[in-house]
Amino acid sequence: MKRKRGALEKVDADLPNLQHKIKTDPTSYQDEFINQYSQYQSLHELFLQSPTTTDDSGIIRLRDLIDFVSHVADCYPKITHAFPSELIGLLEKHHASLEAELRDKIVGSLVLLRKKELIDSAKLLNVLWPLLISTPSKSLRALLFQKIISDLRNSNAKTTNHKLNRMMQTTCYNMIASNPTSPKGLWSVKVTREMWKRQIWADAKAVSIMEVAALSKDAKVVTSGVKFFLGGDQEREEAADEDSDVEEGVDMSKLRHQAGINKKTGKRDKMLRAAAATVKRKERKKKAPHPLNFSALHLLHDPQGFAEKLFHQHLQPSQPQVKLNLDQKLIVLQLVSRLVGLHKLTLIPLYSYFIKYLTPRQPSVTSFLASLAQATHNLVPPDVLEPLIQKIANEFVSEAAAAQVASAGLNGIREICVRQPLTMNETLLQDLVQYRKSKDKGVQMAARGLLSLYREVGADMLKRRDRGKDAALKLRAGTGLGTRFGEVQGGEIEGLELLEKWKEEQGLDEEEDEEKGWDNWDAQSDDSGSSGGWINVESDGEEIDVSDSEDDKPKKPAKELPVEKARDSDKENAETTTKDASSTPAADRNTASLEPQEAVRREEARMSKLATTRILTPADFAKLQELKTAAAITSTMPSAKRRRIQQQQNSERHADDALTSADIEGLAKLSAKATKEEKIKMAKGEDDEKNDHRSTTARRKEKKAAKGQSTTNKEKARKKNFMMTLGKAKKKGKRSLMEHKKILKAHTDRSKRGGKRGNAGN
Amino acid sequence: MGASVKKKKEKKKDFQKPKLKVGKARPKNTNATDTSFAAKSVVFKQQSLSETGRDSNALFQHNLSLLSSKNETQRRDSLAYLTTVCSAQQGSKLPQPPSVIVAKAQPLILDGNLQVRQQVVKLLRSLALEELGSLDSLILYARAGMVHLSKDICATALDVLDWLLSTAPSAVVSSAGGWVKTLRAFQNLLSWHGDANGITTRGVDGKWSNTKSSSNLGGGKLLVHQLTTLSRLLVAGLTRPSLDQEHKAAAEKAASLFPLCHTDAHMLPKKSNPYGYLNLFGASRDMESEVYEDPEQRAEVFNDLGMSEAFQYGVAEAKKEAGEVGRAAALVAKALKLADGA
Repeated sequence: MKRKRGALEKVDADLPNLQHKIKTDPTSYQDEFINQYSQYQSLHELFLQSPTTTDDSGIIRLRDLIDFVSHVADCYPKITHAFPSELIGLLEKHHASLEAELRDKIVGSLVLLRKKELIDSAKLLNVLWPLLISTPSKSLRALLFQKIISDLRNSNAKTTNHKLNRMMQTTCYNMIASNPTSPKGLWSVKVTREMWKRQIWADAKAVSIMEVAALSKDAKVVTSGVKFFLGGDQEREEAADEDSDVEEGVDMSKLRHQAGINKKTGKRDKMLRAAAATVKRKERKKKAPHPLNFSALHLLHDPQGFAEKLFHQHLQPSQPQVKLNLDQKLIVLQLVSRLVGLHKLTLIPLYSYFIKYLTPRQPSVTSFLASLAQATHNLVPPDVLEPLIQKIANEFVSEAAAAQVASAGLNGIREICVRQPLTMNETLLQDLVQYRKSKDKGVQMAARGLLSLYREVGADMLKRRDRGKDAALKLRAGTGLGTRFGEVQGGEIEGLELLEKWKEEQGLDEEEDEEKGWDNWDAQSDDSGSSGGWINVESDGEEIDVSDSEDDKPKKPAKELPVEKARDSDKENAETTTKDASSTPAADRNTASLEPQEAVRREEARMSKLATTRILTPADFAKLQELKTAAAITSTMPSAKRRRIQQQQNSERHADDALTSADIEGLAKLSAKATKEEKIKMAKGEDDEKNDHRSTTARRKEKKAAKGQSTTNKEKARKKNFMMTLGKAKKKGKRSLMEHKKILKAHTDRSKRGGKRGNAGN
Repeated sequence: MGASVKKKKEKKKDFQKPKLKVGKARPKNTNATDTSFAAKSVVFKQQSLSETGRDSNALFQHNLSLLSSKNETQRRDSLAYLTTVCSAQQGSKLPQPPSVIVAKAQPLILDGNLQVRQQVVKLLRSLALEELGSLDSLILYARAGMVHLSKDICATALDVLDWLLSTAPSAVVSSAGGWVKTLRAFQNLLSWHGDANGITTRGVDGKWSNTKSSSNLGGGKLLVHQLTTLSRLLVAGLTRPSLDQEHKAAAEKAASLFPLCHTDAHMLPKKSNPYGYLNLFGASRDMESEVYEDPEQRAEVFNDLGMSEAFQYGVAEAKKEAGEVGRAAALVAKALKLADGA
């Protein structure tokens, strides 16, 4: 009885119910809405009279009403035209004193109104952004940041919203530029980094924001800006990879199968169709050409100026405007050296800056070594680097120094010499090379690395007995001498020599062959017919001036390449096209990679013959591809294997990639002694395949279980309970011919279908 | 080493004496905090430990603070206490001025509990109106309650409005927004939009919707209450003080203060915020939330906004109802004639 009375006393204020009714039939419930709206207005006025008092006692609070009104505001745009601006006013004036729940509700409602397109993105961001900067509340900042990001994402979801992006970028830029000392600039950096990661902002403007951040006068802003340049692109790639991983969510065949079994309803049908559409969209996305994403370092407007400013502002002065600790200084140094190495800048004071840090006692000295190596390129004057190398050799590499120190030093020297071989003098080199006789493995390896490097780039500096057979032969032929300072190598087309050799063997008449090649191309392009946008420029390659301004000089012979490739892409032979396309960046890599001189010189003579005398036809490229694959197969022979591995390692590290302290320390690990725990672990053989003494089957089974697979049919048959098999065994001999036929037929039928349930579709 | 040896060793372990170290354990720091307790909340058995009975003043304060308690019985009880104190000390001085009490009690008009709301009305009735100060926020609460989703709260709010109209009619109708906005609220509650208006809004949207009469005459008791309150509001807003009385009062005053004239203008103002109608510091007001000081203005606005016709039409409909509704409507119709006379 008592409970019933309680229920009767309960008041009937069901806003969600009313909200639902309004959504289904706005016109009929207009009066009810107006009542609630006027109640909201009264409470709003009361709030404005005394913003600090809270109204928690009533059953309908102001935040409930705000939520309600914002949910149905799109049904009555005329009545609620003032509503968004009232919310904005509340938030702007009272955000500091508002109770947290109400404040979050107002932010959420504004975003909701944006979704219902009652206000536009620019207005929303103009409210949220200043709030993000000014509010003292951490939770509100987190909320606002999330909302800002999601709004930017949503408004860029279908097409890029250039206007909004430009506005936001300008705001971010101005915030840092107008007040470089304030730590608030961190928010601009955060937003920009997030947008960069999601590939929404991938233009030079975003990079310029980060540039200004890196040059600002607040330590946090500086480091976050610098970190962006060092890690932003990697982060972006990882995010893209993750996205593509996530996509494998929907299993269409499974859904279709379920649709065949479950009851057919309109809703399920719609769901299936939606799933099919998403799968299709994803497929199309996967097949779409990869968006051209330039790294942030390449989008810099003025790398030289930027590097100079960074260096002079943060590193060089004894009393810098920004106090940076060692770690922060190190990352700034990393960026500067990266810029110098990547863009081949000239920043002479940088090298003398290193001198005082190159002692084994310096904390994180390997990072300094890595930075120094990174800042070296073939246009740095050798006499600037020589004292540095000398110092490293003196400080690090001696019998008295610890093995790890020596190997790190040797490795550092090697990395510098890879980039600028002219730094080394004869006596020092011969001295260092002798460390290959050291007892310590790490030192040994490092010294050997240096030796093998100089066998390639400057064998004449080595002692006669250290040169090795290949280098000695080359020296005798007069080709093994290193490059001179400032010498630049020309580019090449990968595998061109193979083509030339093939042509010689075939003994084809060049003119005739060329004509044939073009004919072939014409026929193919006519077939496809979809080349639409391309104007048919006839084969006069000389007149078409398509040249990348950067690569123009070194790649003169391959000038016509872009045009031909574009035509090539129309071909139906997709494989060839993709490989062709990939071959050019690979060639670029080679020119940019670390040890190109030797290879290039070898090709020089031959290349000049073929690539400079004639235009390669599409047929030529096809043949080239074929020959290259053939050559790749022959190179898997064990004799060629070692060389191939070495080449791979060289090409794996692109000039764009950073050199880290881990690379310098790499060999030092060899000299480290194993700790007791490690030894015990090794002795016990925990998670070590070598010491797993179980049977092959047991191991295989475990692997299977780990993958989440079950047993095979064979296994099931073997394990079947004996009693269950009895019936069939008894009957089997007594089957009639007709029965036997039926069973055989069913068997073939089943195998055709692919199992009992017919999972052929999978 | 076999299993039995291992077991033996384990058994032995139980009887081995632990080796003790020389010296003592380090003494605890003097400023160490004991954090070993696991309770997440602290519970008091009594809220006050003071032995002596509190004086009435402190008790009054305490009850006043209990008005914002989470517990509804507590709210009700403290309201009841305040009511008894206020009605007992009608003439003499209260520990707190009535304006403070009202400020604390007015949010309870929207309270979910019926008894609390009834008690609030009682408390308000027990207060002396002269000392209430500005009624703006009380009117706002009443208006918010009037349009509340819950019918019970509507009734309470109407009670409050009735009380206000009976004690300080001019204050209600001449407050900011007190005239037009309140009328609008009534208009919505009764769905008196005038017939033409209602039809067009329905025609615009091509969809079917509930057909609705142009006046909302479904409710029983609440509707009567609404109509009577509306009639009182109209009367309060539109009646102008008779000229004779005014003249007579002015003449008497002038006679008593004979050598002086326009004394009021030179005296300190008697009410709080005397220049509030100028709205010097607040946000700019629109037509609806403007202050309308005298009956002529109010009647003018009433006609200008088209409310007059709508109300006429609605009343005509309502009058056709039998019983109490019809009678209440007749009262409204009578009040509406005041506006016509303007």
